[in-house]
Amino acid sequence: MTALDNVSIGAEGGVVTGLIGPNGAGKTTLFNVITGLQSPSSGRVSFDGDDVTGLSVHRRAQLGIARTFQRLELFGSMTVRENVQTAAEICELWSRKETPARTRTEEILDRVGLRAVADAPAHTLPTGLARLTELGRALATSPRLLLLDEPGSGLDSAESGEFAALLADLASEGAAILLVEHDMDLVMQACAQIHVLDFGVHIASGAPDHIRSDAEVRRAYLGEAVEA
Amino acid sequence: MFPAGTSSEPRTRITLGEFIGLTIAGLALGAIYAIAASGLVVTYTTSGIFNFAHGAIGMVMAFVYWQLRVEQHWSAPLALFVALLLVAPAIGLIIQTTLIRRLNPNDTGMALVVTLAVMVALMGIAFTLWPQTQGRLLPAFYGPNAHLSIGGQLITYEELISIGLAVATAVGLRLFFYNTRLGISMRGVVDDRQLMAMNGRSPAMLSALSWAIGAALGGLAGILTASTYSLDIINLTLLVLNSFAAAMLGRLRNLILTFVGAIVLGLLDAYVVGYLKLTGWLVHLRPVVPTLFLFVVLLALPAVHLRSGTAAIAKAIRIPAGARSLGNGVALVVLAVVVAPFLHGTVLGNVNAGVALGIGALSIVLLCGYGGYVSLAQYAFFGFGAWLFSEVGHGGNPVGLLVAAAAGAVLGVIVALPALRLRGLELALSTLAFGQLAYYMFFLQPEVMGRSDLAIPRLHLPGLSLESGDRNLIFLTVVFALASAGVLALRRSRFGRILVASKDSQVAVATLGLNLRLSKILLFALATALATFGGALYGSTQRLVTADNFQYVSSLFIVLIVYVYGVSTPGAALAGGLSLAIAPLLAVHIPVRFQAVTYFMTGFGAFVLLGRPTGIIPAASEWLHDKLPRRVLHEPAVGTVEVSRAAASDA
Repeated sequence: MTALDNVSIGAEGGVVTGLIGPNGAGKTTLFNVITGLQSPSSGRVSFDGDDVTGLSVHRRAQLGIARTFQRLELFGSMTVRENVQTAAEICELWSRKETPARTRTEEILDRVGLRAVADAPAHTLPTGLARLTELGRALATSPRLLLLDEPGSGLDSAESGEFAALLADLASEGAAILLVEHDMDLVMQACAQIHVLDFGVHIASGAPDHIRSDAEVRRAYLGEAVEA
Repeated sequence: MFPAGTSSEPRTRITLGEFIGLTIAGLALGAIYAIAASGLVVTYTTSGIFNFAHGAIGMVMAFVYWQLRVEQHWSAPLALFVALLLVAPAIGLIIQTTLIRRLNPNDTGMALVVTLAVMVALMGIAFTLWPQTQGRLLPAFYGPNAHLSIGGQLITYEELISIGLAVATAVGLRLFFYNTRLGISMRGVVDDRQLMAMNGRSPAMLSALSWAIGAALGGLAGILTASTYSLDIINLTLLVLNSFAAAMLGRLRNLILTFVGAIVLGLLDAYVVGYLKLTGWLVHLRPVVPTLFLFVVLLALPAVHLRSGTAAIAKAIRIPAGARSLGNGVALVVLAVVVAPFLHGTVLGNVNAGVALGIGALSIVLLCGYGGYVSLAQYAFFGFGAWLFSEVGHGGNPVGLLVAAAAGAVLGVIVALPALRLRGLELALSTLAFGQLAYYMFFLQPEVMGRSDLAIPRLHLPGLSLESGDRNLIFLTVVFALASAGVLALRRSRFGRILVASKDSQVAVATLGLNLRLSKILLFALATALATFGGALYGSTQRLVTADNFQYVSSLFIVLIVYVYGVSTPGAALAGGLSLAIAPLLAVHIPVRFQAVTYFMTGFGAFVLLGRPTGIIPAASEWLHDKLPRRVLHEPAVGTVEVSRAAASDA
């Protein structure tokens, strides 16, 4: 089975790029290929102009690729703070940091909005906060490419608005953000460029307004969502 | 180190006829391995749980068959029918429904420990029901003289039966898995449980079925082994290791490759016996042939990709703060000072051994508790440490301890390497294989400790004699307190957090930039250094050891017992070491029939984990934490009730 067929997607620094498509479109597979968790049968992954296809998962992370997971991969036996702090400490192993891990952890907790639950065990968190914890953890490595796999599920509409603002803020610092999301409001609000995948095929790309009006996209994805 | 002696001389040439004979014997053994291994694969693919107890089920079935066939004088077909089609599936079903169903296949550590416990418990039951003091023989199906003759070579009917049954098993399983709806469902379960549930087949039902089939196949292999070789509880149980080596060729999923692996293994065994002169240091080569095969397969297999969505939710355990752990250590030493004068003779000796084992068992807390890797070779490390101390610690020189620890670190790296690229299950099995290898190829060598007792000097610190047992006890307790404070400090450090994070989600730490292989190697080096250090102290405490002190089955006991007490708690190492050392003392006071105390204690004890996954000590301390303050608060209230009741009776 081909999960991804001839898909070519780029993400620019400084902007949020959206990646949408129905379930099974291959979005998570694409993330796995970019981070090295799955190897492509052909094709290549390049980052900052360098071919990283043959690199191991941790080497790619050290180049500045970080991600969150659709199926959560939290450090369940730790608190939220320890989740972020451990990520910051892993980062210290391979990159020189001016500020100590503890200080950066507190900054991230404030920035992502996890201060109130900092001491809660991660496995007790509701989905929305758990996803934010994964984001905080990814941020602890100061990534240049951030892959977010459905970070908005579990957020209510007010939180979703704040989250879009947070993403814009993160992008403004220069990182490239690739966002996989089902919440169309969030995607339309946060993304400058959107790619649409359907059954492993790249069917459209463009600005939010363009995507909204694209007939094929409506049929494959948005139409279904509206009817449902 | 090992004089080659006459062992390297080639044996006289083997004729073609003899070669054919060897090949048929090898095929017959391979057939038994194939039946056993296919049972392992069926259970694993459908239930997602590797059945460590597979060989133990086969062993019990061999004894059940003996009971029916020999003791009750049943005919062979009737005894086989009852044993394989009624008793074995029933055992499989009981194990699956009472224990396995409650396991999360993603929690490899717990799944390993519980099936390991089933194995040990079944061994305990077998030792009780069929004491090994009595010799037992299974009659051959057709008697020893029933044979065919091909090219002048005798081929017994037994061999033909094994080969025929293996072929029947292969064909039967193939038809079942590809041509029946039930079989096709069973293949699908592991890949997608929810999908199976939607198709109207309950994964739990299919899993139960796979355990029943697996048990029947294990039973068949056990009976065939026992009728060809002997009714030996330990050897029959460890059939699982041999069949695992075969199944590993097919990554525990591919039945065809499993059969290929089994046949290769059977042939290897036959040719090793036929072509090599098994004398000198090769005298114990035969039982480790599957082990060596396993190492080769593990090295040749491609690396496993990290998989997301497999994180098991672990419960957090309170880590005592530095001051608190220091306080615990001081209390422990005070206890030792108070108790030491009251202990004498054997009891004192065993308590000392227990504390020394506890120091070594701290390695299990590091490796399994913090790192999540189940290692089943700790006694091999203990033995290596003890042997090394006897070699370098002349006059009890404490430098010997450091040498033992340093060598242990190197050894840990070597042991971790083959399975480093693989998952926790393969790592566990390769460590068990290593333990077996160390026992047969090292400890049993006459130059090491195989022929006579190995004398090990008592540790001698400058200005401090440890010759008397009570002083040694206090010293060992101090060492344990320091070592466990060190282990806890490590847990609170950055490395400790990274270890626990890696245990919770390997995928997450890798995508955060952690080189997992490197951290695994570091952990193994550290833990093994601690194990050999503890082993050196154990040896120096015992003064005389033999290979029997470091049997590979003991590694299973100690891992299980530390899990029972709480694998993430250093105190569990001490409790575990003491329990194992003191258990033999109990044996004196109970009937011979029930002497398998250690098997029962560790095997059945581990079932506690199903209810209290963190183990006894954390559960008890949590309970105390909840109860104690309340009880203190309630005490006056109870008093009041007493008074008012007294007043009421007066009135």
